[in-house]
Amino acid sequence: MTEDQQHGSFNFAAHRLAQEARQALSFGSRGVKDVTAEFATAAKQLQPGQLVKDDYFTLFEAVGALEIMDPKMDSGCVPEDDSFEAEFDVCRGLEAAEIIWILDELLCLEAAWHDGYPLSQTVFTSLHVDRLLSPDNNAPYNLHYDRRPAGDLSNDEQLVHIVLRAYCLALIKCSQLVLHTVQSQNFYEEEDFVTHLFGRELLPKLSTDECYRLLDDALRFITTLNLPADTSEALKARLAFRRNYLAALIDDTDDWPDLIARMEVIDSTNSLGRPLREAFSDKVQRQLATSTPPRPMLQVSWKDAYARWTKMCAGIIETERLTSFWICQSPHCLQRAMWAFSYLEPQPNTFARAYLQDRLFGSDRITEDVSHFDLLLTDIRDLVLAGDPLADPDSFQVELPSDPRHQCSRHIEAFMDKAFEEYLNVYRMVCQNRCRIRRTFTQAIPIMDALETEAIRTDEELNRLAPREAMPNKSGAKVQLNPLTTWTKFYKVQIMARTIQLGFETEIYLPDELCTMYWLLSVFAHHQCSRIEAIERHLLVRTLSLLDHPQQNSRYAAECMASRDWLRSLHLQWDATRMMALALWRLCGILMAVRIIEAPKRDFAQDQLLYDARMKPYLSVNNEPIPSLQDLDRARQNIKSVEVTCKSIEMDVKEAKAHLAEVKMMSPEQAKYVGTEEQWKREMKQLETTCVAIAVQASQLMRIAGKHGKKGAQEGDSLKETVEASIPPPEKRYHGWWVVPQLKERKM
Amino acid sequence: MATVASQALPGDKGSDEATHYLTSFLNKTLHIHITDGRMFVGQMKCTDSERNIILAMTHEYRQPSQSDVKLAAERHEKAGRNGNVKVDMKKRFVGLVVVPGQYITKMEVEG
Repeated sequence: MTEDQQHGSFNFAAHRLAQEARQALSFGSRGVKDVTAEFATAAKQLQPGQLVKDDYFTLFEAVGALEIMDPKMDSGCVPEDDSFEAEFDVCRGLEAAEIIWILDELLCLEAAWHDGYPLSQTVFTSLHVDRLLSPDNNAPYNLHYDRRPAGDLSNDEQLVHIVLRAYCLALIKCSQLVLHTVQSQNFYEEEDFVTHLFGRELLPKLSTDECYRLLDDALRFITTLNLPADTSEALKARLAFRRNYLAALIDDTDDWPDLIARMEVIDSTNSLGRPLREAFSDKVQRQLATSTPPRPMLQVSWKDAYARWTKMCAGIIETERLTSFWICQSPHCLQRAMWAFSYLEPQPNTFARAYLQDRLFGSDRITEDVSHFDLLLTDIRDLVLAGDPLADPDSFQVELPSDPRHQCSRHIEAFMDKAFEEYLNVYRMVCQNRCRIRRTFTQAIPIMDALETEAIRTDEELNRLAPREAMPNKSGAKVQLNPLTTWTKFYKVQIMARTIQLGFETEIYLPDELCTMYWLLSVFAHHQCSRIEAIERHLLVRTLSLLDHPQQNSRYAAECMASRDWLRSLHLQWDATRMMALALWRLCGILMAVRIIEAPKRDFAQDQLLYDARMKPYLSVNNEPIPSLQDLDRARQNIKSVEVTCKSIEMDVKEAKAHLAEVKMMSPEQAKYVGTEEQWKREMKQLETTCVAIAVQASQLMRIAGKHGKKGAQEGDSLKETVEASIPPPEKRYHGWWVVPQLKERKM
Repeated sequence: MATVASQALPGDKGSDEATHYLTSFLNKTLHIHITDGRMFVGQMKCTDSERNIILAMTHEYRQPSQSDVKLAAERHEKAGRNGNVKVDMKKRFVGLVVVPGQYITKMEVEG
């Protein structure tokens, strides 16, 4: 297509869109002409299969069209023996037992909505809610519209018009607030949550105060009724729950524990309800704006719903604990807290995850005394610049333009501005669902790599403005610390390692890819270790120079000590990761060499193409690119016989265990797991058990191979007939990030 | 800017005219009435020999139900108005739909 034509078609498309918009808006303004007969005659002359269609409309789109009058597709299709609307009079009086049942059913449906089902299948199926939300209902939203019912209402009627109505209105208000919180944060539509309102509005004009008033009226009304004590208490508990839930949602209180207590009362009185299924109907979908086929109303058992509500409240209580004062003082404690939150069982629902994001990112501060700026600066300082005037918050206050501290601070600030978004994502992305954490981290890699280039430039400036001592590295060459580069690289590689580990957890690798991925993980871990060693060397010099002048700055000295512990804990953890990854690389490698794990037959696959496809997220990395396929193959040549490999695995595991044993001894303050002590302990245990499992599988391989006289088996030999390997699913692993193949002898 | 799938026999004059005529409806707003009394208003994107019609940006219109009429009448009375009661059709957005030719009872074009 030539450029002119292209322009032409763009212009045409724009023109077409404008025309469509005009037509969509102008309905009714012009007359219509009956064309039934002419159209039918013309259509008959088309060949079978011949289409007359708009060029911009693709058959691919056509697949998504809903077929009218097909009961499975057309939500407006009414079967012949059916009525259009549910035949239930929402104004009619109901007994207290029926009201209790309806309120509990609404809680069930609301829980299902939180869980990711659309409102059309859940809350909106309530005919009472439907009436209140109906487009022709107006404030003050009565069930009987604007008609005042004649005469005095019976008690049963008042239960509906006062109690049930107040509850439904407050429920709609709560849904609106939940929706607002979810939509204000990162989430994935359809995947996590459905925000669609199907053309309805959640009573935006109804104020929270009005809801409170209605609920209070309802509570008062119940006390005037001569109901059995348990029924009366049951109704009150439900209204009080709704009132407090609403208060918690608009931040009038944060008494979530109270909600759990009320839920218990509701649960204990659930059996008082008498089912009234007619009060709900999926026929409401016939009047909802939707481009989806009709879907059945959801059936949620009370037991499930009760568990979900309790878990949700518990999740929110946990968000408050995990963002408490001391945790927020340390970026790394907070990062650990994020992961701990994400790995609560079951994973917190979308609202709880949004709630946590809102707490941290709703303003420019993590807590009252920690701004996002402080958080990032503390992070940089903790990791690479402890006890250094560079990046000292005080240096940012120096106003004298000729002072190098002033000049350096401006450069650091400029760098931080660029780093902010991605840095906060390190926290925010962990609040997403598991698959998305991996994917967004994958997308963060090139961004972090670009940031590293920025960091290199800034470090050059800093070195020029405030030259510092170069230190000999491992090979003796003198190098600068380059703090920002080091910091960025540390995070970049950590994110890269996490994408691999989450890849294991979300089962995206085939058995024959495990070997490669563990090797890559060990390479990343190796880089991290040498990076930490470099930071440690520079930290040592800085500490020593401070010791020369002890009176000078005791804060700096304290920072150095804290950083030393922190770096040691990181070093030990990355070392443990490295050794475990190496052990599993060897185990998977030998299993592939002797054909216990085999790649599926792929006729057109080439190693390089497979490698490129799998490594795609990492190939764009320019600063310190990942190893090539040839490097990988060379490494694999070190995997010799079963016997030699199993011995090496034993050594690796031993080393990993030693690192874990050491890091386990470190205090929450030293290793920065304040507030997540329990999770830390559990994780250490899981990693240790994983180590044992690796050793067990290696000795199992030795035992079986020995039994068949095949200890010397190596590349080219086959133990396929002797040993069989299975890959445990995530829930069967000791730790989701570590896949240890299970070996057993094949029965002859 | 419309194409016709190539099965059309060349030189078939009747067919050519028919296609030309049908093409003139593309992206026009059609009102399609169907057997159950509903009406669909949307922009025509595609049709075929069986008069199946794909409409985009479609709204569904439905005659008000008896309870709607009753309610409107009561409101009308309450407001003390005289004369006929006017009740709007129920309208909702349904997006992209295909209306099978067999159910079409009447077709109108806007403008």
